[in-house]
Amino acid sequence: MHPPDDLDEYLRGDSALSCQYRREPAPTPPPALDARVLELSRLPGPNGARAGRGKAPCLAPLAFAASVLLSVALVLAIVFGPQSVRRADDAPRVVRIAYNSDAKLARSPRAWLADIAALRRAGRNREAEEELRRFRSAYPGYYIGDR
Amino acid sequence: MLRYRDGDADAFSALYARHKGPLYRYLLRQVRNAGAAADLFQEVWSRLVATRGRYEARAKFATYLFHIAHNCTMDFFRRDLRLHHAAGDAAHEGQAPEPEVPEYQRPDAIAEFAEQRSALLASLHALPQEQREAFLLREETGLTIEEIARVTQVGVETAKSRLRYAIRKLKKSLASREIVGATPLRPREAMKAANAST
Repeated sequence: MHPPDDLDEYLRGDSALSCQYRREPAPTPPPALDARVLELSRLPGPNGARAGRGKAPCLAPLAFAASVLLSVALVLAIVFGPQSVRRADDAPRVVRIAYNSDAKLARSPRAWLADIAALRRAGRNREAEEELRRFRSAYPGYYIGDR
Repeated sequence: MLRYRDGDADAFSALYARHKGPLYRYLLRQVRNAGAAADLFQEVWSRLVATRGRYEARAKFATYLFHIAHNCTMDFFRRDLRLHHAAGDAAHEGQAPEPEVPEYQRPDAIAEFAEQRSALLASLHALPQEQREAFLLREETGLTIEEIARVTQVGVETAKSRLRYAIRKLKKSLASREIVGATPLRPREAMKAANAST
């Protein structure tokens, strides 16, 4: 059998200890302190009286959707946007025509190769190589000699 | 608190009137310095006012309020300790060593409460801070063990153990002073008792 626990007896309430504590003086804050705190309570919050109630929970999915949309748009813009525009603007006329037609696969192999040749003539070898790589992947079996 | 959060400034007065006494005594008997207690008291209510927008009624309001009070008190003790370490270093260099006793334990600070000090309060002040806090939370707010654990951010068993030790030590201390069960009644209480018996 366990000995009687001081805590159990105390938690039942009205122990001699609690009664004695309640008989002790019960100091309260001085009036000046009361006034300071009550004054403090009337100050508006950081964003007005109803400040800091948090953002409406219904806005969270909306914010998420918006950020996903923005991210996708940004990726698309990086991958396709400026590069394509720059190429179309800077490329020689023949290439520009080919780009504006916007159908690389619809271009005949000969026209495409002519575009590549034009790029080479313009000294834009890197872009020519890139176009050639694309050409080869579009027409893997096409014989193009030693280009 | 919900009314106050939602912009009813008058609701604060009722809230304040209900909790100011227990909170003040909790702080005063924790830090044992009237000035520090007043500063902390104001700090607790300031934090409550500043964070009212985030308040959600998940538990008793007292749990929320005393959780803030606990944090403020812990910050105070940490600050106090650092200050005294720094003061100790400075004194050491100046060949005028002072005992590394926190401000709230210094005789001059304690003296202001000397007249209020009863045997019970003296025994309470002699308890380790955690045990004193558990006892004060229970007595001043009526919080359960679980709520005390939540306020002081410890496990339920730890809170229970702190309170158990506090009670045991207080009883022992008071028994040694022959006070428990033989506390002389104050005049007003004696008069009440006399009236009741007639």
